[in-house]
Amino acid sequence: MTDMSQATVRVSDLRKTFYDESRGEVHAVDGLSFDCHPGEVFGLLGANGAGKTTTLRMLSTVLKPSGGTASVMGHDIERDPEAVRRSLGFYSASTALYPRLTARETIEFFTRINGYPAERVQQRVEELVDRFGIAEYQKGRVDKLSSGMKQKVSIARTMAHDPPVLIFDEPTVGLDVMNALAMVKVIRELKEEGKTIIFSSHIMSEVEKLCDRIGIVHRGKLLALGTLDELRAVTGEHYLEDVFLDYVKRAEGIVGEAEIGPAGALHAAGDELPDRSP
Amino acid sequence: MTGTLFRNELRMVFRDTRTVLIAVVAPLVLFPLFIFITNFVEERESARLDSATYEFAVTGERSAWADDIVRTALNLDTAGLAIAPASFDRVMTQNADSLLEAGDLHVLVVGRDAVPGDSVAADVPVLELRFRASSDFSRNARNRMEERLLAVRTQLRDSVFQAAGFPVALDEVVVFESDNVASAEKEAGSFLGGVLVPFLILLMLSGGSIVAADSISGEKERGTLETLLTTASSRRDIVNAKLGAIMAVGLAVGLVNIANIGVYIGLGILDLPETLRIGIGVDTLLILLLLTIPLVVMVGAALLLLSGVSNSYKEYQIYFLPLFLVFLLPSMAAFLPGVELSSAIAFVPISGLAVATRALLMGDWHWIWGAIALGSTGAAGWLLLQRTEAALSNERLITSAGADEVEFRGGAALFPREVLTWFVGFWVVFFVVSLWFGEALGVRGQVLVNLWVIFLGGSILLIRRYGLDVRETLQLYAPHWRAWPAVIIGAPSALVLAIGLFGLVNRYLFPVPESLLESFGQSLTADISLWQLIIFVTIMPGVLEEIAFRGVLLSGLRKHLKKPWLAVLVSAAIFGVFHVSLFRIVPTAFLGVVLALVVVRTGSIFPAMLWHFLNNFLAVVPQEMGWIVIDQMEGVGTVWYALAVVGATASWLMMANRSGQLPPEPAGRPTKP
Amino acid sequence: MNWTQIGILYRRELRSALRERTIVVNGILIPIFMYPIMLWAVFTGMTFVQGINDGFVSRLAVDGPPPAAHSMLLDTIRGHERIQVREDAADPSVWDAQLAAGELDAIVSFRPIDAGALDDNFAVAVLYDRAEERSRQARERVRRLVDDYRTDWIAGRAESLDVDEAERTVFVLVGENVSSSEDIGQLLLGQMLSFFLVIMVALGCFIPSVDTTAGERERSTWETLMTVSASRSSIVTAKYLYVVTLGMVAGLLNVVAMMISMGAIVRPLLQANDEAIAFSIPLMAAPVMLAGATALALFFGAAMMILAAFARSFKDGQAMVTPVYWLVFIPILLGDQTDVNLSLGTALIPIANITMMIRDAIQGVFLWQWIGLTLAVTMALVVACLLLARQILKFEDFLMGSFDGSFWRFAKEKLFA
Repeated sequence: MTDMSQATVRVSDLRKTFYDESRGEVHAVDGLSFDCHPGEVFGLLGANGAGKTTTLRMLSTVLKPSGGTASVMGHDIERDPEAVRRSLGFYSASTALYPRLTARETIEFFTRINGYPAERVQQRVEELVDRFGIAEYQKGRVDKLSSGMKQKVSIARTMAHDPPVLIFDEPTVGLDVMNALAMVKVIRELKEEGKTIIFSSHIMSEVEKLCDRIGIVHRGKLLALGTLDELRAVTGEHYLEDVFLDYVKRAEGIVGEAEIGPAGALHAAGDELPDRSP
Repeated sequence: MTGTLFRNELRMVFRDTRTVLIAVVAPLVLFPLFIFITNFVEERESARLDSATYEFAVTGERSAWADDIVRTALNLDTAGLAIAPASFDRVMTQNADSLLEAGDLHVLVVGRDAVPGDSVAADVPVLELRFRASSDFSRNARNRMEERLLAVRTQLRDSVFQAAGFPVALDEVVVFESDNVASAEKEAGSFLGGVLVPFLILLMLSGGSIVAADSISGEKERGTLETLLTTASSRRDIVNAKLGAIMAVGLAVGLVNIANIGVYIGLGILDLPETLRIGIGVDTLLILLLLTIPLVVMVGAALLLLSGVSNSYKEYQIYFLPLFLVFLLPSMAAFLPGVELSSAIAFVPISGLAVATRALLMGDWHWIWGAIALGSTGAAGWLLLQRTEAALSNERLITSAGADEVEFRGGAALFPREVLTWFVGFWVVFFVVSLWFGEALGVRGQVLVNLWVIFLGGSILLIRRYGLDVRETLQLYAPHWRAWPAVIIGAPSALVLAIGLFGLVNRYLFPVPESLLESFGQSLTADISLWQLIIFVTIMPGVLEEIAFRGVLLSGLRKHLKKPWLAVLVSAAIFGVFHVSLFRIVPTAFLGVVLALVVVRTGSIFPAMLWHFLNNFLAVVPQEMGWIVIDQMEGVGTVWYALAVVGATASWLMMANRSGQLPPEPAGRPTKP
Repeated sequence: MNWTQIGILYRRELRSALRERTIVVNGILIPIFMYPIMLWAVFTGMTFVQGINDGFVSRLAVDGPPPAAHSMLLDTIRGHERIQVREDAADPSVWDAQLAAGELDAIVSFRPIDAGALDDNFAVAVLYDRAEERSRQARERVRRLVDDYRTDWIAGRAESLDVDEAERTVFVLVGENVSSSEDIGQLLLGQMLSFFLVIMVALGCFIPSVDTTAGERERSTWETLMTVSASRSSIVTAKYLYVVTLGMVAGLLNVVAMMISMGAIVRPLLQANDEAIAFSIPLMAAPVMLAGATALALFFGAAMMILAAFARSFKDGQAMVTPVYWLVFIPILLGDQTDVNLSLGTALIPIANITMMIRDAIQGVFLWQWIGLTLAVTMALVVACLLLARQILKFEDFLMGSFDGSFWRFAKEKLFA
């Protein structure tokens, strides 16, 4: 069973409710629970609007949960948000870069701002510049860079302070094939280094390739949690796409048919499926 | 960490070359250009008026006599007399009036006998100067002709008196002479002290805005805010760094502009008043710097808050103009005559500092009051910073969800939050109607529109829109029987106290020109019969104003502000502001406090209605009917005030205490599941 | 040009503008509410100042009585309801210090004058502090009392010298204004409204012109729009007409709101001083103002859109257009001189000519040939701008937002290269 002492990220019964004039009361996240561990890529799989981004934003302390708790490296997200942010790097399509800074200045800024020891900042910036091949355009202003270059700078700034936990929220959205592959490669490397990685996506193939464990999120609820093989075993489908659809259909069925149907296999997904550390 | 953020902010500002260019460099070039053109236009105007030849004609039944005087006036030796230069040209004509009408004559001198309308003795001849006020030339012709004629008259008078044996010229008798003891430094200090704070605010606002416009709102727009918020820096660090950047750039722009003005003065493009002599000691300079600190912090904090609540650069711009006025108007306080540092003004942010600065430069510095002025502005700045920090924690910065729970549910739960906004809207309508259509409507028409359309109509609108419970909102509950005698005793007592308060306010806060008071009294009661007065001024306000202010407004505020005393004060202040004229605001607000207390205390609106009716009745009818006369300026005797205090206390005690009984909260689903 | 398409596009622009807070607030709400409230604030401030001034009690120290024959003067000073003679200030040596400290408002002393054969003549010498308002007022009150006293005393003396009233008055001077109250109102309105109309039309064009070009590019709706089947010129024409409409509406609304508010607030003030003033404008001025506002909006709209169209963001667009807005003030200042009228020369100066044309029209002066020339000059400018715009639209890279977002860069590279 799960070795709880190793969990770097713990999410328990996390909830978030929005009130929107056009959509009404929205339970964007509705009782999510999961743990993540070092050297693991944890995938959150779900359609657009399933609640992935909201969950990750709560983890990065930008949003406050309406209920439940979570912690990163033992720091509670509500009680100690700054410590949480110090120990994680957050990458998403909505976290833009300052257009008027140069690539190098950007990395340096985020290294400093995240509390990296001042005397080692330059060394760290050098490392990152080398690692991502930014050297040739490090003096160029961000608004003049191509999207591929910007992506590299973005990843570099995400891990500028060498955090133990990294969150990638739909990192490949809008990237071409080459850049998306590069992104996947970086995430693999980070995993090798023993980082805890939370990766959200609605692209099945990426999740299939990358993730050690997968959580399927639908309408703010966790439908399933497990390794790809475990999910395959429960659903009897091979391709992740089919696995995902199977879960979603059954979930919708439960909602639509007033709790008739194979509820046992799905209800309170986290309890039903084996939850193992890699 | 704040240091890193601060450097980053500055770096980004300076890389935005186009904005910096437009905001800093362009004014440096345009400013002298505007001054140059304005000076040019002004000089041209005055040269033109001086060098013009004014056409005049002389007519009237005593034209020969008038002609003599005018000729003497034009040949007058103006050396040593304060008379503006002018050359006149006489036109011989038969139809002078039509020439004047057509603009071919600038002034027409009519010599005639006095007529009854002139209010002088019948045998005194009259010189009438006809001119057209709609023409610069004609007005000037008249003024310059008048100066000369008056000088001639003085000479003629002197000769009449001397002929009768009077030994000296008339203006040598009982001579008035005056000497100014103010040093040039003090006069310069009074001028500089007045303009310094508004000028500094102006520069800080425009300079700081270069950073602020792009600060939080710009980060929101570009999506970098979320990046920043996911770093380990705290909200406070971010706010401090941004505030630092705004202040630094604001001050820098200010200094550049001041240096710029210095250069233009040096080049002679700008003229300083000749008497301006500045002598500032080191200690004065240090205090001056100390005074600017809270000012700069407060302006910076306000700009940052503005940036925090705006969602985009464009939105920031909308709010900037009102903010500009909100800061600039109170900074003018030092121009108000008679406002001294050692008064309530020291507690008003910005105004206090403006007055303190002037006092300092005039040599009237006072440490305790100066510290209060410093503290009030500093505290206001600190509060603004708190608000900004809170704004940065607002989730709406990040998510698209446009509403929180209460807004989403709407209805009665949302009403308390929006009631103030609605009343501001009502005020604007009320104000514009009375301003634009006041004259056309007349007093009765205005009363009808205000009471029935705005107050009652507005109340019904709000009750329907938010689906409010009418009984609970308007407090339509039966009061304890003791409330009625309490009102009968209380209303006259409070009225007497209000008269006393008006006297105090008039003496110490807002002295009212007596002419204004008189015209107000006349306008209120002009040609209205007694029964109309009772209906329009006592019964209708008693019922309808209570429904709007002590019903809808007070109930909303009591839920919104939680603390009953705060709700009472705010509702009263709004009630006061609805009586537009400055001198009526304070007494009306006092009545507002009393009436709101009656509602809170008795748990019913009916005693307040009776009270309001009695108050207006007693304030207007006896005086109008001439039964008693109270001079509002003088007030009534001390005995009456003492009786009033006793009466008010008795009334307060008699009203059953139901203040603890807040209307029940509307049932709603809990926020968290 | 397909006018049906232009109509559709134009309506879309207007609709989204009316849903845009910036435009609604700046163009409509500010004129309606700001003027009355600001004027009210000024009026209240004036009342306040007047009240304070009236209410001051002037604290005087009086050094010695005047000559016995003139002791009445001191009684008059003592009797003035807003003058308090400080009897406690017995020690003259501290008066100067008290005056400097603001505890006294003025020190009055009487100095005998040995003038000719007039017995008991004297001067009233007042020491005051010009830097203090209440001190200035104390001096003024004493001066008025002394003047009145002198007049009365001379009148009394005249009787004993047997000089009758007619003789000593010599003559009475009265002024009679033959202008109607409408004329004066028009003089004021002509100067203010012509100035404001031009500025407000420019301001009204400002935000829409930036928003519909640079703003669209920033929101990335520019390319969406360029891919619809309507021709580019139809799109740009619709945008142009929309900017012109808003500029005109903003200008005219502002002028109307100002006129009404000014009338409501200024008139009672002037009436208190017995000066009649009526705010109305000649009927013929309305079409002239409308024509002027239209011509201006056409010109400002075109000029501002050309500059803003290169910018990549609203902010950049604003930075490009702001100098133009400032420059508008120069011709207005020139055109607002009261004596300079429309003539062959002045009608050729853009913007200044329209300022003068509107001012004259409000004041009831219609020099039709120069009005025609003014409008023709403005329209020629408009045509020049439109031709330039057509040239610009031919460049593909303009549509993509090149040239570093700057019109000047474009002009350097393409027009003058």
